[in-house]
Amino acid sequence: MKKIYVLASAIPLLLLIALAIGATEVNHVWSAIFAFEFNSESLDDQIIWQIRAPRVIAAILIGAILGIAGSLSQAATNNPLADPALLGTTAGAAAGVVIGVATNLVSLGSFTAVIAAAIGAMAATLFTFWLARSALQLIIMGISVSAILTALVGIAISLTDRSDLRSITFWSLGSLALIASSDLLILIAVAVIVLLVALKLSPQLDLLSLGDNAVRHIGRDPQRIRLIAFLTLSVAVAASVSTVGTIAFLALAAPHIARFIVGPRHRNLLIASAVIGSIILLLADTAARSIAPPQDLPIGILIALCAAPLLILALKKGAMQWR
Amino acid sequence: MAIMTCDSISLQRGSTRVLSDFSLEIEEKAITAIVGANGCGKSTLISVLAGDLTPDSGSVKLLDRDLEQFSLSELAAMRSVVLQHQNFWLAYSVQEVIEMGQDGPSLARVDQVMSELGIAEIAGQSVLTLSGGQGQRVAIARALVRDTPIYLFDEPFASQDRESRKALIEIFRGLREQGKTIVIIAHLADGDLEWCDHIIEKLS
Repeated sequence: MKKIYVLASAIPLLLLIALAIGATEVNHVWSAIFAFEFNSESLDDQIIWQIRAPRVIAAILIGAILGIAGSLSQAATNNPLADPALLGTTAGAAAGVVIGVATNLVSLGSFTAVIAAAIGAMAATLFTFWLARSALQLIIMGISVSAILTALVGIAISLTDRSDLRSITFWSLGSLALIASSDLLILIAVAVIVLLVALKLSPQLDLLSLGDNAVRHIGRDPQRIRLIAFLTLSVAVAASVSTVGTIAFLALAAPHIARFIVGPRHRNLLIASAVIGSIILLLADTAARSIAPPQDLPIGILIALCAAPLLILALKKGAMQWR
Repeated sequence: MAIMTCDSISLQRGSTRVLSDFSLEIEEKAITAIVGANGCGKSTLISVLAGDLTPDSGSVKLLDRDLEQFSLSELAAMRSVVLQHQNFWLAYSVQEVIEMGQDGPSLARVDQVMSELGIAEIAGQSVLTLSGGQGQRVAIARALVRDTPIYLFDEPFASQDRESRKALIEIFRGLREQGKTIVIIAHLADGDLEWCDHIIEKLS
């Protein structure tokens, strides 16, 4: 677990580097960052504090949120392949936002969008949960529910000529450029709540790994543990999808990389998954906006490039963590 | 006195009739062995006694009360269960697995139970590296740290060596002396079962 605190302490350093790097050349980066006063006249200050800072902080928060969501998915399904995309949660959140926007109840980038996403995410996840009769079936049902919802969202977007709905196409690919500083409070609140609930649930998530019968035999209800995990990860995914769109692969990869550092125990794993998720998303997003400025490369590509080699390395070099 | 009774229970799984009009009494404070060939429904029977499966017809009673009426926590206070197959899939240590979800008094017994079962030396080892017999003893340890009136074991001797088998028999006898009720599923090939109080042959 010490290793993870060392890694966590790298986050502030990465944050500073991420603030300093960007499409626009900032002349006095460090004095702008370390000045105590925000000078609204200064272009440097504006770029660093109004454009880069929200995005960099969002990367840290969303990375952590998705890392926790991934851990919860794998724990709740007893399956190392699980992630929120496979449970229908991600597609549900996206559908919630699209329905909300189409019915004019919600505008993109507002708190109402988070609520709509949370309702969609919960509905889709619970529907998957209700359909499946076993932990393995959950994955197949989740993929199917996800496919249906993604198709419906695609049809809705294609049929519309409204510009805000059209912009969802871009948003469905996921980008941290979509972040607004007003989103940060929501993300902070969700990150804290999701982490606390998940940590509270962690002994029961460990127990769940022994199988449903073993859980029942000592008087606990495995479906109840699963339900709390699903509701928590729905809120996590909703906050992420409604602010920056769909971000693939991170929620799957972060828990695996974390497991090779701290082992399977969920108390440690959840924290480690959050830290690994933060680091990967921060690195990936900084790369996305600085490799070919002023172009923003799709975040999914850079997450894949950052996380996949780490995942392969962990699986090849580490001790066996699951079978 | 019978602490548990099955009264003409039948159970169908898929198209196979696993239990057919089967009746059974489990005597209190005694060791009952249920023996029979593979596939005769012994494991199904232990799942029924554990409350994991409900028969299609007939009744299962614990202390003269229908098993279905017990809540999960009431059942947990009455019986400990060890299933035959363990699905460990994450690299927890042996001790971590035994301690999962246990209450304070149970946690206090972990060290003692591990040494009785001969798994104290592997307490820190990953459960993914265990042999079948060791894995089974980890599951047995999870049951033994709990203090319940009834213990149900599905094939505790499968893949145990002679030493472990002897140790297990001593543990079961010790439990009986403490006034516990023990039900084990066994194979006739498990050697003599004379140390059991009742042997019930389950024929399909």
